[in-house]
Amino acid sequence: MGSKLRSSSTSELADLTHVIPVTARGDMRVPARVYADAELWAQIEHDRSLEQLMNVATLPGVQRCVYAMPDVHEGYGFPVGGVAAMRAHDGVISPGGVGYDINCGVRLLVSGLEASVVRPKIRELVHELRRSVPSGAGRGGQLSLSEAEMDRVLGDGCRYLVERGLALPDDLDATEAGGRLVRADIGAVSARARTRGRDQLGTLGSGNHFLEIEVVDAVLDPAAATAYGLALGRVVVLVHTGSRGLGHQVCTDYVRLMDQAMARAGIVLPDRQLACAPFAAPEGQRYFSAMCAAANFAWANRQVITHRLRETFTRCFGHAGRLDLLYDVAHNIAKLEEHDGELLCVHRKGATRAFGPAHPETPARYRAAGQPVFIPGSMGTASYVLAGRDAALGLSFGSTCHGAGRRMSRHAAKRVKSGQEVRRELEAQGIAVACPSSGELVEEAPFAYKDVERVVDVVHRVGLAAKVARLRPLGVVKG
Amino acid sequence: MGIRPPTAAPGTWHHVLDHTSELMFRVRAPTWAELIAEAGRALGEALLREPSGAPSTVWRAVEVTAADRAALLVDWLNELLYRAEAEWWIPTEFAVDAASSTVIRARARGVAVTAPPAAVKAATLHGVKVVEVPGGLEASVILDV
Repeated sequence: MGSKLRSSSTSELADLTHVIPVTARGDMRVPARVYADAELWAQIEHDRSLEQLMNVATLPGVQRCVYAMPDVHEGYGFPVGGVAAMRAHDGVISPGGVGYDINCGVRLLVSGLEASVVRPKIRELVHELRRSVPSGAGRGGQLSLSEAEMDRVLGDGCRYLVERGLALPDDLDATEAGGRLVRADIGAVSARARTRGRDQLGTLGSGNHFLEIEVVDAVLDPAAATAYGLALGRVVVLVHTGSRGLGHQVCTDYVRLMDQAMARAGIVLPDRQLACAPFAAPEGQRYFSAMCAAANFAWANRQVITHRLRETFTRCFGHAGRLDLLYDVAHNIAKLEEHDGELLCVHRKGATRAFGPAHPETPARYRAAGQPVFIPGSMGTASYVLAGRDAALGLSFGSTCHGAGRRMSRHAAKRVKSGQEVRRELEAQGIAVACPSSGELVEEAPFAYKDVERVVDVVHRVGLAAKVARLRPLGVVKG
Repeated sequence: MGIRPPTAAPGTWHHVLDHTSELMFRVRAPTWAELIAEAGRALGEALLREPSGAPSTVWRAVEVTAADRAALLVDWLNELLYRAEAEWWIPTEFAVDAASSTVIRARARGVAVTAPPAAVKAATLHGVKVVEVPGGLEASVILDV
């Protein structure tokens, strides 16, 4: 469907860029651009990702271009791995462009431990983490929030957790937006959303959420790795989860509200799940405020999990088990950002912000390297630490991929292998696994995902983010 | 292979279809009310993930309103999802007392669970459709998992 980009400044960028012109469909307002090599492009064409991307290009106020990262796959409304920016003063905001798991994201914690110290204890460590961080479907956490405490979490995110002794002041500097979006309005979050989130702070959830204990097995950019505190053989921990039932309900509430409002206004979109409202209108402002509050909840969720991780590592390894937060970054979110001299509402759904060294929002401690980005592979495969590049602003509104990206449905995965087989294969590689059920294990098996090496290679070569280090799993706690 | 529980009317079934990242139901039934009940049963199976004991004898009222049948189906499933997560209770049997294009009034009974079952995040409007087919109605709906 797409054609190779012809006007790029480098042939490599041109080889990896597929453009769907604005003329491809009468209702598109901007072109679409997909970053992929030939093999990934073939996989992308296999599902409805491109149709969904073109649907996004029809939204009012959309600017410049809509983008798909190399891990893009079919979702609902927006494709997962999609980026679109709408002008704040006359464009729309779409809850479907953020998704149900508002501020689903990844954080990386760095220990001072060598893999040789952790490996002999990995089964015990995974078992302890399984006990201290509740996972699985909807499992409640050890914190049950009062109404007043929920207000503080929604309004202040990680800042409130510093007061509670669940976060270190340094953690705020190492979290996107300091772990708090100031536009949060607790009054925009429904009672239902609060009920769903009440006892879920500090929980992983289900699906592809996880904790992974990893070892740095390759340093690919020594200077950036040093800036990030990463060294060969060092043990690190990846945390992947989001805003749990609270975020799901916020999205449900506002998709419904906007669908009704669009029907009344006679607005017709190619997909009802793209339901949207002008950003500046009351419905748009209210959703944005609720989304910000849910994002604060998600950062607080990952922070409480961090607290549990620190307790567990200290119990197992003493003072040497100290865990420092390298960074925490969202991959399902809408943010107000200035691009091309305009204030835009940038929707990233399954896409990670990747600001370069020159961007003012890149933390001061990482100015030499660029904002850290974490790309989890699938269970048993490598994960990557990347650094945002300044060129990404012009190529993708400062965004990159968020993972390997699914290529196989959960049902199809179950037809390939059993959960027991997957567990045996992981254990044969020396990877300790804790998972609620074998059925859920096979749904997230490596063969159900695209090749993370290939995905990361594309974003590195295009110039969205640069490879810094490769991680290999030692143990997995699956949600 | 479609699944037809003993409480369903003849010609009533649901399939769970392949979708790259999400869960997709196709549901068929002779009437709108029976389709709504069957969609609820499909969701109950997805949330339970494995066979459970008999449902409790207590029926709980569920009422939903929306602008049209497609939105009503999505809202119905989202209402059941909310109840499941908030009340730690998975509805598995349904008695639909009234079902128009804009309102569903029903009763549900199900099984209590020891943890809120949030394996499904939400039912979506993406590609949702309700169409007439020979012998009744057929619906498709995608759920975020």
